[in-house]
Amino acid sequence: MSKMIEKKKIKGLLKEAVKQWHTYVPQKHIGGDVLIAPLPEEAKELEAALDNISLADDDLVISPKDIFFPQLETMFKFKKGEIAETVESSPKLLFGIKSCDLKGILFADEFFKRDFEDAYYLSRANERLIVVIGCINPPRPGACFCTSAKTGPFAEKGFDLQLVDNGESYFVETGSEKGEEFVAKYSGFFQDESGDAEKAVNSIKAKAEKAVELKIEFQKALDLMANDDFIPEEKYKRIGERCVYCGACVYTCPTCTCFNVFDNAKGDEGTRVRIWDACIFEGYTREASGHNPRNQKWLMACRRYEHKLKYDKAKTNMSGCVGCGRCLASCPVDIGMSKFVQEITEDKKIM
Amino acid sequence: MSLKHVLTTCIYCGCGCGLYLTENDGVLTGAYPSVKHPVSKGSLCVKGWNSHEFVNHMDRLTHPLIREKGSFRKATWEEAIALIAKRFKGFMKESGSDSLAFLSSAKTTNEENFLMMKLARAVFKTNNIDHCARLCHASTVAGLAATFGSGAMTNSINEFEEADCFFITGSDTTAQHPLIGSRIINSVLNRSAKLIIADPRKIELSKYATVNLRQKNGTDVAWINGMMHVIIKEGLEDKEYIKERTEGYEQLQELVKKYTPEYVEALTTIPKEDLIKAARIYATTKKAMIVYAMGITQHTTGVDNVKSLANLAMLTGHVGFPSAGVNPLRGQNNVQGACDLGALSNVYSGYQSVTDENSRLKFEKAWNVNGLPGNVGLTVTEIISALGEGKVRGLYIMGENPMISDPDQNHVRKCLEKAEFLVVQDIFMTDTAVFADVILPGASFAEKDGTFTNTERRCERVRKAVNPPGEAKADWEILCEVARAGGYTGMSYKHPSEIMEEIRTLTPIYGGMSYERLDPYGLQWPCPTLEHPGTPYLHKDKFSKGKGTFMPRPFLEPKEPTDEEFNFILSTGRIYWHWHTRTLTERTSTLEREAPAPYVEIHPEDAAELGIRNKEKVRVISRRGQIEIQALITEKVVRKSCFIPFHYREAAANVLTINAVDPIAKIPEYKVCAVKVEKI
Repeated sequence: MSKMIEKKKIKGLLKEAVKQWHTYVPQKHIGGDVLIAPLPEEAKELEAALDNISLADDDLVISPKDIFFPQLETMFKFKKGEIAETVESSPKLLFGIKSCDLKGILFADEFFKRDFEDAYYLSRANERLIVVIGCINPPRPGACFCTSAKTGPFAEKGFDLQLVDNGESYFVETGSEKGEEFVAKYSGFFQDESGDAEKAVNSIKAKAEKAVELKIEFQKALDLMANDDFIPEEKYKRIGERCVYCGACVYTCPTCTCFNVFDNAKGDEGTRVRIWDACIFEGYTREASGHNPRNQKWLMACRRYEHKLKYDKAKTNMSGCVGCGRCLASCPVDIGMSKFVQEITEDKKIM
Repeated sequence: MSLKHVLTTCIYCGCGCGLYLTENDGVLTGAYPSVKHPVSKGSLCVKGWNSHEFVNHMDRLTHPLIREKGSFRKATWEEAIALIAKRFKGFMKESGSDSLAFLSSAKTTNEENFLMMKLARAVFKTNNIDHCARLCHASTVAGLAATFGSGAMTNSINEFEEADCFFITGSDTTAQHPLIGSRIINSVLNRSAKLIIADPRKIELSKYATVNLRQKNGTDVAWINGMMHVIIKEGLEDKEYIKERTEGYEQLQELVKKYTPEYVEALTTIPKEDLIKAARIYATTKKAMIVYAMGITQHTTGVDNVKSLANLAMLTGHVGFPSAGVNPLRGQNNVQGACDLGALSNVYSGYQSVTDENSRLKFEKAWNVNGLPGNVGLTVTEIISALGEGKVRGLYIMGENPMISDPDQNHVRKCLEKAEFLVVQDIFMTDTAVFADVILPGASFAEKDGTFTNTERRCERVRKAVNPPGEAKADWEILCEVARAGGYTGMSYKHPSEIMEEIRTLTPIYGGMSYERLDPYGLQWPCPTLEHPGTPYLHKDKFSKGKGTFMPRPFLEPKEPTDEEFNFILSTGRIYWHWHTRTLTERTSTLEREAPAPYVEIHPEDAAELGIRNKEKVRVISRRGQIEIQALITEKVVRKSCFIPFHYREAAANVLTINAVDPIAKIPEYKVCAVKVEKI
């Protein structure tokens, strides 16, 4: 028998969960921006934070990748030759992330253990439970294209639990043993679903799919890239020339995991730090001599598309793009993956 | 583990983007854009995205320092503050109040700028207070106040999204104000807005331009007069607007008569066809926005340049409407606010003149002091020179770095070396701080509450995310302690919101700006009452001063034209990756990596003539000094001209620049001086 949870019980559930987990939930700020952050443990702060949680289809500017891969992360501290590692490890509950972002996390998991095991990421991500809430409406209308990328608006696998919005309550889908255990542990908050849940869930999901208006020929783009089909240079050039090098497409991308490493030091004391890097920057491939194999703007811009749609797919059989649309939504000059795909598959000028 | 996101305002340019700082166990670990903020709208430039990194840097100043026997030693706050008070009071007694001077900072908050001017005026009784606006938009403040009655950007940033014509001159907009630059790109590419660019140097936006005018540096009055000549000759002026809303038109008509396209071409090198085309497009497009920055203001004719642009806008009736106006883009995050709050030698907050007795009486009463000085004080470059001459004996610098930012560095160095007593309050050991007698560690933007006012006059909140390092303190707290040590009891506040309450009562344009009302994204001045919604665009129905005044100006040559020996025009400026004197951005790994070294842009044909290869080190020499610097061969500059970013101490552009200033605004001519380039 499947389960459900009433929306009004969510706060109580989270209040319990905080005792065991660092509980990451989308939280609303003054002005209405929503960012995902851990609930505070102190009682009064917790109450205030619970009043501001937002489980609607909000545009989280940054994908939750930053929970395991912060924008700036201290790797170790050093002082007079002594080194102290600063690996973070704690149980984390991600409550209310979206299916595209789940896909991004699964992709990053794969990357951070593929060639070597990245202790910093893996230790942060080691013990976690992910509760997806599928999107009824796209958080970034006009930019989201999960139905084309086949990553949403509901996840098919990879989650521990998935909630399906049914008005006053959520249907609960279980995706793993850990998810089942979670429901069992907090069984007081969940109840059995009596009606024909499957039919209702399917109908909600079908409606949600229709709500994603932007449809693009994503598979065709993957095929074009995979087959080395000729993509006219002027398309790359037009897109690349428009870029203003802010880095947003990379910073906000759920699957972008490049970082740069530097020391923040004074004398023989300091920290080794890593910080998000972006392939659209000139310095990303500049060699020590000053020579740069990607020395033109359009070459820098296009390597991102090649990477996401071609090399990632070839290497992992997963596309490096999860269709979240953040690259377009955060781009000051309206460039984004969906527009690139439209340019190369529809034979018309989009940008 | 604690992790929180704190909404605040970006520390870099005048766009004033809303961003969230991520605080994790007392360390800043990220900076994300606000989606709902009216300027950032979910985007930031690369500097904003990386604005958290420098805050954590180990180089931060953490203790007061006092110079002793040629080196610095750690000091307590008490002894540092007591020493400052003792020395400053001593100078005051021996040589009068005007032997003291104060440099405020467009990087600090409104509240701090207000307190700095209060400290100078109420406690130490001098109007010798100024800040870097003198080096950027002093010409604007003077020029637009004279013509329109208000020296600020007339429109709002979001009005760029509706404009049909942009007329950009002397602003490398995508580099200096990225989120305004991107609105222009989108408008041109998505909505086919027209773009006129008048800039000697090729900029990122040039490739989108409908017309590119590449005037010879320093000839701006000539080509603007030329455009007006064409507009009047072709009957494209807005006769009704001129009649109803302006005065002094006849003098303008008379003056621009001789600026025929042919004459202008001879002066400026702008082909006459291009000038005519630009004039027609601008005059016949209703929603036309003039956008300008340092390329207009940093000249000995800076005020003339600004007045000429104001004339052009009035002539065509392009002021006082949404998406139509004159838009000086303010450089620093809070340079608008630092001016608004009176960190200038001639005005109190809200541009109330120190020479006006009523204003003085008003501030005397509010501050409970007698004898506020009624003479206009010294400006930035004058203060530095007076320091060298011993006329200024005590100088207090908060968050400025004149050693890199001011013209003629060798002169600045000599003056700083001669300083009798120098106080520097900053967050890093700057190139200026090394000359100090006392160094006070301030707090960064992430470590204090307050407000900044962006280029569109939006006063918005700055919120504390982390504690300052070591014993460092918020600048407003430090200023209050100095005031108390100076024997003044009227500067005690528990929180910056209390300072804002004082600002509100004394500053009509900020009258309605209580902290409660500034949530979430601020208010645009003028905002005179607690009920007032703020003002998105200025001069609606009538100009701030009543009728707009045409102020026709004749073309004058720059101070130092080229000659046979010094045969290149040098212009200096900012680049996208760095901020001003690089104090913050050299400590931001991504930004520093992208632009690690200084360079001089030089035209390929000039390079060929001199036998210079790309990236080869060359010597650039002016009458004031010389630097060795890497050549970047590019068609961005025209022949016989070169451009050097002013950020780098390693090859400081300001070794070369001239400290000739505009007679009214006292702004230095950073955009034109004569140099020669030599192969090494």
